[in-house]
Amino acid sequence: MKLPTDVVKMYKEVHGWVGIISGLCLFIAFYAGALTMFELPLQRWASPPPTLAPAPSLERTPELIAKVLAAHPQAAKGYDINLVIDAAHPARMTWMVRGEADEHGGGQRYYASLAPDGALQVESRGPSEVAQLIDILHQQVGLPFDHEISMSIMGAIALLYTIALVSGLVVLLPSLVSDLFALRIGRNVKRMWLDVHNVLGLFSLPFHIIMALTAVVFAFHDQFYGAQGMAFDGGAERARPSLSAPAEGPPPATLTPAQIVARVREQAPGFTPETLVYGQGRGGLPALRVQGSDARYGLRAPTYGMAGIDPQTGAITGTDYMPGMQDGWSATITSFFALHFGNFGGATIRWAYFLLGLAGAFLFYTGNLLWVESRRKKERKAGAVEQTRATRILGALTVGVPMGSIAGISVTLAAAKLLGSHASYAMHSAIYYALFLIATGWALARGAARSGVELAILGAVAMLCIPAASLIAGTGWYDAPALMLVDLTAVLLAVLLFLSARAAARRAAVGPRDSIWSTIKPVANDS
Amino acid sequence: MSRIGSRPPLSSRDWFGKVSAAFILGFTLALGCAGLFRELMDVGEGYFSTKGQFAMWLMSPVWALSLSFCFLFRSGLRAWLWLFAANLLVWVPVLLMGGLRP
Repeated sequence: MKLPTDVVKMYKEVHGWVGIISGLCLFIAFYAGALTMFELPLQRWASPPPTLAPAPSLERTPELIAKVLAAHPQAAKGYDINLVIDAAHPARMTWMVRGEADEHGGGQRYYASLAPDGALQVESRGPSEVAQLIDILHQQVGLPFDHEISMSIMGAIALLYTIALVSGLVVLLPSLVSDLFALRIGRNVKRMWLDVHNVLGLFSLPFHIIMALTAVVFAFHDQFYGAQGMAFDGGAERARPSLSAPAEGPPPATLTPAQIVARVREQAPGFTPETLVYGQGRGGLPALRVQGSDARYGLRAPTYGMAGIDPQTGAITGTDYMPGMQDGWSATITSFFALHFGNFGGATIRWAYFLLGLAGAFLFYTGNLLWVESRRKKERKAGAVEQTRATRILGALTVGVPMGSIAGISVTLAAAKLLGSHASYAMHSAIYYALFLIATGWALARGAARSGVELAILGAVAMLCIPAASLIAGTGWYDAPALMLVDLTAVLLAVLLFLSARAAARRAAVGPRDSIWSTIKPVANDS
Repeated sequence: MSRIGSRPPLSSRDWFGKVSAAFILGFTLALGCAGLFRELMDVGEGYFSTKGQFAMWLMSPVWALSLSFCFLFRSGLRAWLWLFAANLLVWVPVLLMGGLRP
């Protein structure tokens, strides 16, 4: 396809700049995002064996609820009944207690079970939060700031990412036919990385378009709603129904959880109910929602769809977010979320998204390599042999940031099994950022060539910490044999990192010595 | 494309004028598109109705694509003028239909 040369040249410059600004953040977002495809399995892998008595059967659950409500009346405000019990959902009944200060998400969660003699057991230590940390790293492109600040920066990165996609496509279009199936692996390193970058970028373009446009919404939905409210709704505040109005008289009798599940299965045959969420609706009346999944449809939340249930009859009343029962508008909105979360089509799609996510991270990494390579060429033409400081710093960051995030996530994940019930979100966060900062600092101090080898080895060793932690913790931590895939995947990634360390070492020793990737001291030109 | 020879070549140098136009007027354009959608589809006050959510989602591609293609304007000034015209095109029907309720 022919495009005016000035347009291509201009977009090439634009592509380079937006890419270099956003590339490293996008690497972390995509690497961590690929892992969140398996957020629930990772949480199960990382969670200690439950200390509570085995969950009572669904039929005995009303007894558990009655005993909890008698001993902990504040649970009546809202509680969950888990229908699937595993390491990530260790208790049949859980509830949150929130103080005045933690209205937004904070608070303490409690887990309850019945001892064999029928006595109530309540536990405040829950499943591991390390998977949640990985999710937050994904959402905040690895930034440690306050959520709202991080999300605005993420939104800006997402906008740059969209510009990078459009500009990259414009640059590639003129040579699309001749370059598309060419992968020239050979002496010309820049050519090779360019071919890899083009192939990855073009074949995963639909995935990237989805990610970019949905990420802009995830970052700015409050601002978008706010602007629309100001322009079209007379600045009306979002009307949220009051949840805490006192009830008049005793609440009406509701069906038991087992009856509710039977009614839901009857009305939605392909849907697997996983959690019943009890709350209080208007006037303190009981309100009920069922959460679950259906591999035939996309889901609105990362891992579940949901429906409003009439607690007295078990009838499905709210179908806006119920897989397979949505009208056209709801299904359309849900498809945007589902295409980002990869939560349709079961495990196959999750593995496909995992690979696409890793390929995306690699795409941004190759983008940075290309930036460094093209700077190198320009400088050689100008006669300089020593690379500029900017190129050296960028080269070091291109090694340090990706390897730091890979090593940090691996070690903090492995730590979950070693810390056991002592692990907290703050500890996991501290471990991640400590490794991330050490790796980045190391890369800056040692330069790209040396640290490229050393940090790839660090990444591989960190990856091997995952199966090592599993060996130390023992088989009691696996609530399903399939979770060993976590360890297997880690070993596989460790092998890849060792191979890349070997390739980096070879290049440092025998590659062109004017490159930042070489450890051979450059010979001054003018001597 | 036949006019290639007769115009000065595009450059990424005056990016600031173009990008600021797309950042500000691209956003108001996106807001206008959402307003137009709300009027045409009769979304009304329903803030979190699924149609209301769709109107919110509409803003992302409009804004992001404005930012992506603003570089094609010949200059920063032209970017501001063209995007202003595009805003008029979207906002005038919204105003005529009484959609603006600040």
